[in-house]
Amino acid sequence: MWLEHLLSVFTFPGFLFIILIAFLYEWIDRKLYATFQNRVGPWVTGPSGFLQPIADFIKLLTKEDITPEGADTLIFQCVPVFALAVAFTCSLFLPVSGHKGLVSFEGDLIIAITLMTLLSIMFFYAGLSSPSRFSIVGAERSMLQLLSYEIPLMLSIASVAVSTGSLSIVGVVEAQKAGWLIIGPNILSFIIFLSAAQAELERIPFDVPEAETEIVAGWLTEFSGRKLALLRLTKDVELFYLSSLAATLFLGGPLGPIIPGFEWLLHPVYFTIKSLVALFSLSLFRSVFARLRVDEVVNFLWKYIIPLSVLQFLFVRVVV
Amino acid sequence: MSVSSSYERFFDIPIGPQHPALKEPLFLKLIVEGEHVVAADVDVSYTHRGIERAMQERNYVQNIYLAERICGICNVAHTLCYCQNVEGLYDVEIPSRALYIRVLVEELARIHSHLLWLGVAAHEIGFDTLFMYVWRDREIVMDLIEEVTGNRVTSAINTIGGVRRDVKPETCDKCLKAMDYIEERTKYYKRVCKTDPTIAARCVGVGILKPDEAVRLCAVGPTLRASNVKYDVRADDPYAVHDEVPFNVIVYDTNDSFGRILVRIDEIFESINMVRYCIKHMPSGPVRARLRLNPPVGEHLSRVEAPRGELVHYVKSNGSEKPERYKVRTPTFENLSALCEMLTSKGNYVVNIADVPVVFASIDPCLSCTSRVAILDSERGKIWIGSLEELKRLKR
Repeated sequence: MWLEHLLSVFTFPGFLFIILIAFLYEWIDRKLYATFQNRVGPWVTGPSGFLQPIADFIKLLTKEDITPEGADTLIFQCVPVFALAVAFTCSLFLPVSGHKGLVSFEGDLIIAITLMTLLSIMFFYAGLSSPSRFSIVGAERSMLQLLSYEIPLMLSIASVAVSTGSLSIVGVVEAQKAGWLIIGPNILSFIIFLSAAQAELERIPFDVPEAETEIVAGWLTEFSGRKLALLRLTKDVELFYLSSLAATLFLGGPLGPIIPGFEWLLHPVYFTIKSLVALFSLSLFRSVFARLRVDEVVNFLWKYIIPLSVLQFLFVRVVV
Repeated sequence: MSVSSSYERFFDIPIGPQHPALKEPLFLKLIVEGEHVVAADVDVSYTHRGIERAMQERNYVQNIYLAERICGICNVAHTLCYCQNVEGLYDVEIPSRALYIRVLVEELARIHSHLLWLGVAAHEIGFDTLFMYVWRDREIVMDLIEEVTGNRVTSAINTIGGVRRDVKPETCDKCLKAMDYIEERTKYYKRVCKTDPTIAARCVGVGILKPDEAVRLCAVGPTLRASNVKYDVRADDPYAVHDEVPFNVIVYDTNDSFGRILVRIDEIFESINMVRYCIKHMPSGPVRARLRLNPPVGEHLSRVEAPRGELVHYVKSNGSEKPERYKVRTPTFENLSALCEMLTSKGNYVVNIADVPVVFASIDPCLSCTSRVAILDSERGKIWIGSLEELKRLKR
């Protein structure tokens, strides 16, 4: 029993699965972004460039790993490892292969979103520990952004918890057997969740912390070699995690028409398809806007999204 | 400004000479306080190529090719300016068909340059989708330039006494067809730029340059015209056949980066109409007048409206096969002092770090064309052009 459990932690739906699907999601995201832009995207490595993210990862692992002079060495070296660990831990809560995630207990929804915040704080430390000015400006911006998108993100999840009457992911999934949450009063929460997720993932139009043309790569500037590889993997896992969380909370997660005896196959398939829908909206969102300025991001989120999410929360509270 | 606490309130952010935002070697030292730029300092001349000097070492025919390589994108404007200069020394009449072809290619190059710029500006504000779309359509103009001149980028069409090759009738048809397509696409981009909220958020009210400041700082080209100053060499001092080809000088009174986008987009429409006019009204006849190798003694100054603004070339001939002195003044150089003005916060006008790339891009900089050596001695208050020996001495 414990051996089987260990095996599932390391293979499916554990770490190996998460790493591979994170790379797959990066590839899909790049392909979609390229398609929207009239390009081909990754093309050379593997069929249709399918292996490109893995090739990038391996290449970065072999590159020289520099800790710049003047960096806070301990934090600088720990951040990539911790960030990846946090991202993996988050993903273990996802109900990929059944109604339950690998780790599941009452209140795991709260833990899952807390860890997500922790990830942003990791990125802040990554920038702060680097000696580069671009990193410091990037870290500053990432913290400012965190203060604005965190509230709508939490509130949209809170309205899910209220309408399902459960604080565990299993509870949320099982409550959706009667009907997915996106159908009903929670449709606005879904949109709010996706825009906040876009900000959390630091993608256009909210990619100010790593705005390429302004501050090089923001908090990521000084990282190279293995550390950069781990941080990029972290970003990929985060992308997988947030699109999957959107699918779990609003689109019914692994639920779908089940043929008895094939649950082991159908649950993961439904889950992946649904999270790909969320990924598609995230990619579309990314390709139709210009990058906002940091003050405009804060303005937009505080002026429109936060009041909207408060109203939405109250609305759900009254309706349910 | 006083520092109120023991913390460092201001710190400087170096942008360039190598930076993802700048494809060109320029050093911008920004003194920032949080996100706000308090002051900006510009340092140029990282790529001095000694072209003026090299031109004095070569004969007039070789110099056509050297002038072409001052700038890759405005190569047509540079050769046009150079050839007009040398022709000005001879006092000859250039065949009218050649002048029409010159304007045709010049305007095609302007469309290509403005589309390229629109893509770069979109990239600077993080709108990569627009960037990719615009550059895809720019390829059509590049193909046309290749069709007309035989070369995709450095077109090598202008030569002393006319143009190097004639335009075929079927090429003209192709041109007209492509112009319809480009016009339709540019209308679409104009609509995108005018309606997209994120473009407006990033460009409106950013990089303000008031009309009086623009004139005082000698801004040129679209930068000047976006500050509501109606000045265009093609209209004010017509060269080639610009006095025959009708067009409107586009001005906007927004004084900001957004106005510069709109000026350039509208200029694409004007250029499209000029290309059409040139094709329809092109007279027949020879395309080149043969001239003696050595021009007579004299000097000449010629001005051309390059895509980036007014371009000035000056030549002095002593009757030999090489120019005695050649001087180039590129539009970017004139716009740099205006750039410093745009990047300085004062009063209610605040520049953010995020605004710097788009403000910088809004002057359509081309710095490698700009580098000239002038030695400034601040103690004696003297500026002079240094000789090679002096430079070598300074370097040590």
